Amino acid sequence: MQLLFQRWRQQVAAYFSTPAASSREAQQREVSTRRRGRMSQLIRSHIPPRTERMAVDQDWSSVYPTAAAFKPASVPLPIRMGYPVKGGVPPPKEGNLELIKIPNFLHLTPPAIKKHCAALRDFCTEWPSALDGDEKCEQHFPVEIETVDYVSAGTSIRNPKARIVTLRVKLSNLNLDDHAKKKLIKLVGKRYCKDTDVLTIITDRCPLRRQNYDYGIHLLTVLYHESWKTEAWESEKTEEDMEEYIWENSSSQKNALDTLLQIKATENVSNVTKEELLASEVVRNYRNSVIALKNEGETESNMSQYKESVKKLLNIQALP
Amino acid sequence: MAAAMAVRALRALPHIRIPALPASCSLHTTPPRLKTRAARVRVGKGDKAVTYEKAHPPHYIAHRKGWLSLHTGNLDGERCAAQRAVEDSFVRRFLHGTFPGCLADEAVLKRRSNSLLVCLLLLRRLPPSKLCFLLGYAETLLSHLYKCPVRIEAQTVPDAAVYKYL
Repeated sequence: MQLLFQRWRQQVAAYFSTPAASSREAQQREVSTRRRGRMSQLIRSHIPPRTERMAVDQDWSSVYPTAAAFKPASVPLPIRMGYPVKGGVPPPKEGNLELIKIPNFLHLTPPAIKKHCAALRDFCTEWPSALDGDEKCEQHFPVEIETVDYVSAGTSIRNPKARIVTLRVKLSNLNLDDHAKKKLIKLVGKRYCKDTDVLTIITDRCPLRRQNYDYGIHLLTVLYHESWKTEAWESEKTEEDMEEYIWENSSSQKNALDTLLQIKATENVSNVTKEELLASEVVRNYRNSVIALKNEGETESNMSQYKESVKKLLNIQALP
Repeated sequence: MAAAMAVRALRALPHIRIPALPASCSLHTTPPRLKTRAARVRVGKGDKAVTYEKAHPPHYIAHRKGWLSLHTGNLDGERCAAQRAVEDSFVRRFLHGTFPGCLADEAVLKRRSNSLLVCLLLLRRLPPSKLCFLLGYAETLLSHLYKCPVRIEAQTVPDAAVYKYL
């Protein structure tokens, strides 16, 4: 007690090292009252925690209005956290660092969230009633732009991944004829997905998102216009460049016609023209089955269709 | 010494062949004991009061202990983990010096987007006026140093919570 008194005297003396111009006695009286005030402050016991004065039906969102660390004196719950000592219980909430370490959601109780929603409702607008389905949205807004914003904890908000822009559009929504569509698909290569008919353009070569968006739109425009033009060298398109199998002027057509002409010659039928043969039903069937086999691949139905058409073409009825 | 002399004596006799031993003193050594000593309080007589944080060595992190510093830098694809680590170590040293002898336990640092939230457990060693001044001083100085809002949430406890005695 004496030691404390002496220490306080020294501290006060240091604080009042240059005294104001007043009488010596008044100064001493001032010093002693100040010293006594500080002493009583220290000796006074600390006030009990707020939990003891909390009503059961209080407004919890005023205790925890925002995200805050766990305060044991403000949360009226008998929570224990930690691994218990052998033969003991988990440590209590007072001075428990584990409860402070974890993020808590005491500020997000359902009534608090209701209040947030009520406050945000003033800033919200209704969804347009005309867009009541995915098809309508796609019809009015065929081009989808996807951008990602990154949030992280730290002093910098910059993230280089945020500049990437993805543009998605269905080719059926673009005004393309057969030649333009094939040329566009050849131009974009891997960026077109045949199953979903979606062209995806991902741009990240510019440093800013706005620049990447502009570049993506520019690419789409250029692709569209270029695919409608027909260059001079496109007439040199060979059979290997074709995207799908075309039976007209193919080796299959030639072989079929030659075979049929030879059959007709041996039967001594009068000259049948190629056009007549092409127009005949058996040749039509054969053409369809070959096209189906080449374009769709080998399936049960395709193979059986081909078998039937060949049998009819060569007039072989006996074999099953 | 005796061994060396014996070797020399034996070598003097011409008809005895002995292998040439290197002349050295023999040292008595124990095999090296590689014990990790990181963040461990060694068991003693049973008079050392130890908090929950100190009682658990680092391999209990994520099993019995949480993390003292929470930020997004260590997640997959996120950047600047090293900068956060350096900031954390500086802030801890700063707090250790600003509140001498008053820290009951380690400070918990939480980052919420731009701001830094420091959760302190303090002992009631200082009068409240001094404590308030130091808290304000720490907040202002750290905000100016790191150019981000720094908030300190301090709780006072009469004594550091003892978990066990080692």
